[in-house]
Amino acid sequence: MGNFNIVIDGSIVGLYLLATMAAGLMVRKYVGRVEDFLVAGREMNVYLGVASLAATEFGIVTCMYTAENGFRYGFAGATPGILYALAMLVVGLTGFCIRPLRQSGVMTLPELFERRFGPGVRRAAGVVIVLGGLLNMGVFLRTGGEFLVQVTGFSLQAAPGAAGLAAWMQAHTLELAMTALLLMVAAYTILGGMLSVLVTDYLQFIVMSAGLLAVTALILVKVGWGRLVATVQAVHGSGGFNPFSHPQMGWPYVLFNALLNLAAVLTWMAVIQRVLAAKDARTGQKVYTRTSFFFVARFLIPGIWGIAALAALGPGADSLQAMPRFLGAFLPVGLMGLLVAAMLAADMSTDSSYMLTWASVIYNDIIAPFRRRNWSERRGLRLNRLIVAGIGLFLLAYGLWYPLQGDLWTYLGITGTIYLSSMSVLLIACCYWRRANSWGAVAAIAVGALVPVLYLVLEQMPGTSTWVRGNIGPYFSGIAAYVLAAAAMIAGSLLKPARREVTK
Amino acid sequence: MNGPLFWKILTAACLLWYATITVYVALRGARDIKEMLRSLKENRSSVTSDK
Repeated sequence: MGNFNIVIDGSIVGLYLLATMAAGLMVRKYVGRVEDFLVAGREMNVYLGVASLAATEFGIVTCMYTAENGFRYGFAGATPGILYALAMLVVGLTGFCIRPLRQSGVMTLPELFERRFGPGVRRAAGVVIVLGGLLNMGVFLRTGGEFLVQVTGFSLQAAPGAAGLAAWMQAHTLELAMTALLLMVAAYTILGGMLSVLVTDYLQFIVMSAGLLAVTALILVKVGWGRLVATVQAVHGSGGFNPFSHPQMGWPYVLFNALLNLAAVLTWMAVIQRVLAAKDARTGQKVYTRTSFFFVARFLIPGIWGIAALAALGPGADSLQAMPRFLGAFLPVGLMGLLVAAMLAADMSTDSSYMLTWASVIYNDIIAPFRRRNWSERRGLRLNRLIVAGIGLFLLAYGLWYPLQGDLWTYLGITGTIYLSSMSVLLIACCYWRRANSWGAVAAIAVGALVPVLYLVLEQMPGTSTWVRGNIGPYFSGIAAYVLAAAAMIAGSLLKPARREVTK
Repeated sequence: MNGPLFWKILTAACLLWYATITVYVALRGARDIKEMLRSLKENRSSVTSDK
């Protein structure tokens, strides 16, 4: 058992859960239309948008892999956060893609694509977005549960002498706790949609930020900045401070992350749904510029936790589990409760937003185009709620009770690149290239999926794995997916005669 | 600029900015929620009266 005190820390966590549920359920009465449910009636203002975007994009999974970056690469592991912040700042200041997107009045990306590329591309983009998004999200629950179990020190073994149901429940503490958490999130998301998501995101942002800041301050005071720097210097040398001189990073790592983060800023549905829910394009841009620096904190703060774990446990520890193990022993009673509440807040805000985001694409771009007559608002709302509930069931079945086989990060990288490479090319071409058409769009989707899948297959085959890993590697493969998807868009669009283009 | 100094300045800026924006968003975000709910309520009542 770690330092988690069931009375003091448990009360802090219980109070947070109670406040979140009350706030999430309270606003359900304001939902009268599908637009209220999916984009909060487009009434979101700047600071609520900042809270929602920051809370959505920081989950326990994020905390785990950014802390692992700190453990494995030192301070240089926070480089993707700087790149993400720069991409978001530039896009926010210029309105690149997000201004025409918000001004179009659409509710999802594929809806915009239909106007330029036709209904087939809309459905194909919808399928790619939903598959990429859901498969990514599938690992959130179990990873979050493992973090909480490590930090609190709860045992996953049945107590000696326990039998029957009691033994089964003790052995499945993680699954039961995360199921209960998901049921709470699903309850307010199903009833209140985006409105509940925004209001709970606001509360969750405050709790999450208080926890992140308090834990970091304690680490800096107790472990000390000098020891963190000395540890990075001793384990990683100059590469721990500079990604270009780190042997496992270098310019391919930086370039791949620059492309990946720009694509995520432009097309990751959970991010751009805040632009679509904003009062107007200008508000959407302000949400981006004012949230941008948060993404440095998103990588640097857990990165410092990972470096502190490296200092305490040494480089031989498991890089993914080191941070929760370190915090479980390091934090005092009271602060442990705040950390658990903060991480629950981070996870709940991410889960609710992601469930709603993928539901919006399934409803708007995969199911709705097939309807023969317009549906009433009541019927549309009912269908949206059913889809959110269905996604919740999928997460339970696929992500929690069915253990994932293989490497988590390869899996996340592949599913993410399939989505982001093709969708970012489609969005940029849709907004700024007049010759872009459906042939180019289909070619970009196909090539954007083919390159990462081909790399994965070659990497797994005994005859090619050594050559592929040594001569190509994940970063060159990722860069190739973006470059070739763009080339496919250009080639496909130029091959199709311009007069046959679909216009609306 | 050497590596450790760059990260020290960035960490300090990050914590200072994050603490400030948390307080600011806590205050302004509450106002945004009130305005959003009031606006949605007005929209709903105008739709109801149109019917």
